[in-house]
Amino acid sequence: MLHPFEALVIREARLLDARDYPAWVALYTPDCHYWVPVSPAMTSPLEGPSHCNDDRQLMLARTHRLANPRAFAAEPPPRTVHVVSGVEVVSESADTAEVLSAQIMLEWRQRDGFEADQRLFGGQVRHSLRRVDGDWRIAVKRIDLINAEGSMNAILAPI
Amino acid sequence: MDPASLVTDTHVHHSVYTDPALFRLEMERIFGRAWIYLAHDSEIAEPGHYVTRHIGTTGVIVTRDRDGSAKAIVNRCTHRGATLCAFERGEAPHGHQCPYHGWLFAADGALKMVPNRQNYAGVLDLAENGARPVRLESYRGFLFGTLDDAAGPLVDFLGPMASSIDDLVDRSPTGRLSCAPYVLRHHYRGNWKMTFENLNDTIHPGFAHAASVVSAKHVAEEVGSRDGLSPTVGMMLANGKPIQFFQDLDMMVAPPGHSYIGGHMGANYSPDTADRYTADLIAFHGPEKARQVLGTDRHLTLLYPSSTWHARYQTVRIVRPVRHDLTEVIGYVFRLEGAPEETFRNAIEYVNGANSAASPVISDDLELYERLRTGNGYDGAGWIPYTRGLNEDREAGNGWTRTPATSEAFIRNQFRAWAHYMEAA
Repeated sequence: MLHPFEALVIREARLLDARDYPAWVALYTPDCHYWVPVSPAMTSPLEGPSHCNDDRQLMLARTHRLANPRAFAAEPPPRTVHVVSGVEVVSESADTAEVLSAQIMLEWRQRDGFEADQRLFGGQVRHSLRRVDGDWRIAVKRIDLINAEGSMNAILAPI
Repeated sequence: MDPASLVTDTHVHHSVYTDPALFRLEMERIFGRAWIYLAHDSEIAEPGHYVTRHIGTTGVIVTRDRDGSAKAIVNRCTHRGATLCAFERGEAPHGHQCPYHGWLFAADGALKMVPNRQNYAGVLDLAENGARPVRLESYRGFLFGTLDDAAGPLVDFLGPMASSIDDLVDRSPTGRLSCAPYVLRHHYRGNWKMTFENLNDTIHPGFAHAASVVSAKHVAEEVGSRDGLSPTVGMMLANGKPIQFFQDLDMMVAPPGHSYIGGHMGANYSPDTADRYTADLIAFHGPEKARQVLGTDRHLTLLYPSSTWHARYQTVRIVRPVRHDLTEVIGYVFRLEGAPEETFRNAIEYVNGANSAASPVISDDLELYERLRTGNGYDGAGWIPYTRGLNEDREAGNGWTRTPATSEAFIRNQFRAWAHYMEAA
């Protein structure tokens, strides 16, 4: 039996890999944030720009677009597999919890058929969880990519 | 090769995007001659603070000198050629020392010290071995550099487009700006000119970004009102405006290669912020000037060949050519010192949508740049027409032309500058 928080983190990764985006967004609280900072030194998305700083609306818009055949950049949609490791509950109260994990996402996006089609994203992930109506949901997902300060090419699939 | 033969009034040859030899010539003749935006004063606030930037493919270091002036040098040790600074920003109060053999250079490039000096007795003149200085000029706190000592003054290069920098600075209720320490970078495997030809193209969003428009509408329906939309979703929606809207909007073009189009994404400030900000601007500028500042609404200004400016969203982007088929775009966001915090949040929202590789809008553009690279890489691909709006100019003034925002006049203007730079002796 997995710890329920570890099960939630793994379930989120599986939903992303299955491209079941409505179920993915449903794991989050209504006032959630999905945050990919441009530096591990950032303490708030209001300090400067971010690769992603999504509220629920933007998560919905982003993932709805991936299913649109006119989204030519995602045709066919990228295929991903997440590897989740080192899940650790670093704090826990009756209604909140902080969970760290190390994650790697392997992504394949059909382009010219050569090595650039396959990419790796990875880093430290922090899930801030909150209990809503008895269920644990994700309030904040912060992804500190190991190349956070780096220059990115198009990112389509949520990490 | 005669580069001017690759450009006509109506067409450009595909090889300008894909030929590595032309790219090297561009580095020498365009990026080696133009004024290139490097840094803002606030990034090197204290003596010894430095940032590293590029002029074309040449690395440069911009340092605040002890006397308070800004100095720039080529980021290269004159001994064996190693780069001096590896980091994007830092502090070097005693100068820039090469990690290889310890040669030490002052902010202005002077060679201050060579270890084991006795080995060089009579065989090395320090005064002749300084790092190459880069000529700098500032316009209202924005530092531009050029590798061409014979280039005319910066204000002549900016021409009427200097008003877009005024627009940014004048939006500060203290006259001061500060550059956020965090920057947002994306890259694509394609030529640098593709960004310049895309950003003021108002016809592509309705097609290239159509999927984002559909998704933003879907979310708007779910939310039930456009007022409650988050700013990035609003930006996605803005690309769905009818083409007639952009046809009615103005574009201004001016040599060498610069352009801007009229604004079309309104303010998102809350009423409280808008009131306080207006009052702050009136207190600083007086009512008439404040009204003029707030009434100015420009979208992107492109300063060919290296930077793009959005005053309304306090954003400057540097377009950095790396190879003929690799380009990096670096987004900087500015705080209007003394203005309500919401003005900075608004700018962050904009730069996230406009410069993140993960933005639903930019990821479309990045895909297209790479398709352009592929299609224009075919042998004999041929000539590319840029005749859209050729006969639709609205007004010509002293050094500028006004056209509909749907026109490709800005691309024709860029290639006039391109041919001029490439041709000149």
